[in-house]
Amino acid sequence: MSRILIVEDDKRIRSSMRLALEDEGYLVEDVSSGEEAVSSFNEEPCELALIDLMLPGMDGFETCRALRRQSTVPIIMVTARSDTHDVVAGLEAGADDYVTKPFVAKELAARIRALLRRSRPEESGSPVIRFGDVEIEADAGVVRRGGEEVHCTRTEFRLLSELAEHPGKVLSREHLLEQVWGYDYFGDGRLVDVHVRRLRTKIEPDPANPRFILTVRGMGYKLAV
Amino acid sequence: MGPGESPDGPVPVRSSRRPRRTRLSEGLGLRARVTATFAIGAFALSTLMAGITYFTARQTYLNERQGADQRQVFANALLVQNALRSPGADAEQLIGSAGPLPGSLSVLHSGGHWYATSISTGQSALPESLQGLVLGGTPGSQIISVGGSPQLAIGVPLPAVRAAYFEFFSLDELEGTLRTLAFTLAAAALVTTIAGAALGRWASGRALRPLAGVTEAAVAVAGGELDTRVEAGDDVDLQELASAFNQMTANLQDRIEREARFTSDVSHELRSPLTTLTATVGVLEGHRSELSPRARSALDLLDGDLHRFTRMVDDLLEISRFDAGSAELSLDEVDPGELVRRAVAASAPVGPDGRRSTVAFPVETGPGVEGLRLRVDKRRFERVVANLLENATLYAGGVTRVVVERHPPPGPAGEPDHGTPAECIRVVVEDRGPGIPANERDHLFERFYRGSRSGQRASSEGTGLGLSLVAEHVRLHGGAVRIEDAPGGGSRFIVELPLSFDGVPGDLT
Repeated sequence: MSRILIVEDDKRIRSSMRLALEDEGYLVEDVSSGEEAVSSFNEEPCELALIDLMLPGMDGFETCRALRRQSTVPIIMVTARSDTHDVVAGLEAGADDYVTKPFVAKELAARIRALLRRSRPEESGSPVIRFGDVEIEADAGVVRRGGEEVHCTRTEFRLLSELAEHPGKVLSREHLLEQVWGYDYFGDGRLVDVHVRRLRTKIEPDPANPRFILTVRGMGYKLAV
Repeated sequence: MGPGESPDGPVPVRSSRRPRRTRLSEGLGLRARVTATFAIGAFALSTLMAGITYFTARQTYLNERQGADQRQVFANALLVQNALRSPGADAEQLIGSAGPLPGSLSVLHSGGHWYATSISTGQSALPESLQGLVLGGTPGSQIISVGGSPQLAIGVPLPAVRAAYFEFFSLDELEGTLRTLAFTLAAAALVTTIAGAALGRWASGRALRPLAGVTEAAVAVAGGELDTRVEAGDDVDLQELASAFNQMTANLQDRIEREARFTSDVSHELRSPLTTLTATVGVLEGHRSELSPRARSALDLLDGDLHRFTRMVDDLLEISRFDAGSAELSLDEVDPGELVRRAVAASAPVGPDGRRSTVAFPVETGPGVEGLRLRVDKRRFERVVANLLENATLYAGGVTRVVVERHPPPGPAGEPDHGTPAECIRVVVEDRGPGIPANERDHLFERFYRGSRSGQRASSEGTGLGLSLVAEHVRLHGGAVRIEDAPGGGSRFIVELPLSFDGVPGDLT
């Protein structure tokens, strides 16, 4: 049974989420603030965290960054609105995905399942992929740059692997959403954009002028060979 | 949001008084009136000046002339007196052409008789008042008219010889000079009047120039640019107008923002309880098998309306963002045919097994649509299509046909797939409803509009905002939406989005 940490200050929402996720078969731990979330995580790491962005005191972004500093645990942030800059800011703070209130429990559960599935080690037998000074060890889930390990979240790793497995080929946002996040056509392209941006800061020599992960305007992204 | 944190101030009470209208102008335009005022002023002033000049000059000339003539008359009178004193003097001869006064026009009264140098100008030409005055012993002069020409008549009494001497001087020359002067002055007055009118026109144009700036700003405000402000610069006269105008737009902006924020806050605040409700209804759904049939029906009702409530809150929030002018496009390049197909597939009802039923109608795509990349906000485009489909399903007996085509149709193959500015992509949704009367078509895109024939909600599932959001989303993309009659009866909704869209919203036409 996977342990899920819910960080939400509204008691009723917290209770209803607990009910819904317990019904889905998860072990739920809920806290009402970012500070509690960090200490709970330190006591016993969860396998996935659901973080509300609007928290009193330490807000969702800060909580997200705090967890991200010590772990690659999958994080889904919960926002009130999908069209604000909050979504991008939350993704940049390290979240893997987001859901908008009010969310349907079944959909949330599907996303959780997709993220947890991804966080299990891949059974891929592909060899080590190299480009530039970057090295991807698919089996071990490790990325090295210049021989030094780069800390990537699972989503970043999946995204990089997907691009690296098709070097030189342009992959559309929809394709990447489907392959990396397991979404249908209506997924949010910003997920891809922000993760690409984050990935660039980790593997590109100059993230502002990428050499490896290139944007193909109007089409998507590709890994330069 | 806690207590005391209410984002909106007291709601202004709308009074029942009639709206106040300040009439800015009566009759003629402002410029015309200023011009006329300047012209009239210039005319009055120049006429007055000309009049004063004329009469002063006339008086001066006349006095000068009179002085000179008088000196001559006295000299001549002295001659006549001396001549009359000499023994055997003959007045007749004296005044004759051979006398001492050649060339002058003289009349002599001597010994009760009148003698004149000219036959035409004699005693009869002298006014009686002058005759009386001079014969009474006082010299005098008077301007008279002889045969239509002005003459100055001067009379001198000669008491030593008991006679009186009169002489006429022609004023024709002086009259001519004065006429020239009058003509010149009249011409000058006319020129001044015209110059005054021109100055008035120029000055009013200059004075009204700031108004053009204010007009421009007002048009911008009316067009939704509520942050428009005017600047008075150093002009103290304009500062009052500028500050009043800026105050007005600031208040307007404040009020609109407050109302939009209120709607936004309300829908936002509703999300927390909705989240709890949605999650718990989901839990109940999970335990459906444990419920009695009656409880299951109740749960279905709850679930249905919860879904509708959520949609309403979403739509209200969306509308409030359009009202606040804060709706932002997040442009993406999509395959329009594919997007519409996915939207159609997603609109199919979910069966009891949790799977969507297949859709009875295929999406037709016109030439040049497949493989086309369209720059749109994916979420909004998807909502447009979904709302049109939903409208057809809920209010018009279902969709009969969905078409995605280019308009005008693309030329022969080989042309680049980017389109000209006039080109657009059309999404057509036809339904099997009774059609919509022409006079109702525009109203259909208004919020919460209910058709005149229905009189009540045709369906309890819509939010009443779907079509107005379609119009807003489409407008944000610089496109247009309209309704026509479908060939087989029913209505045809046509959405047109420009192929080359640069992100600047256009007008809804």
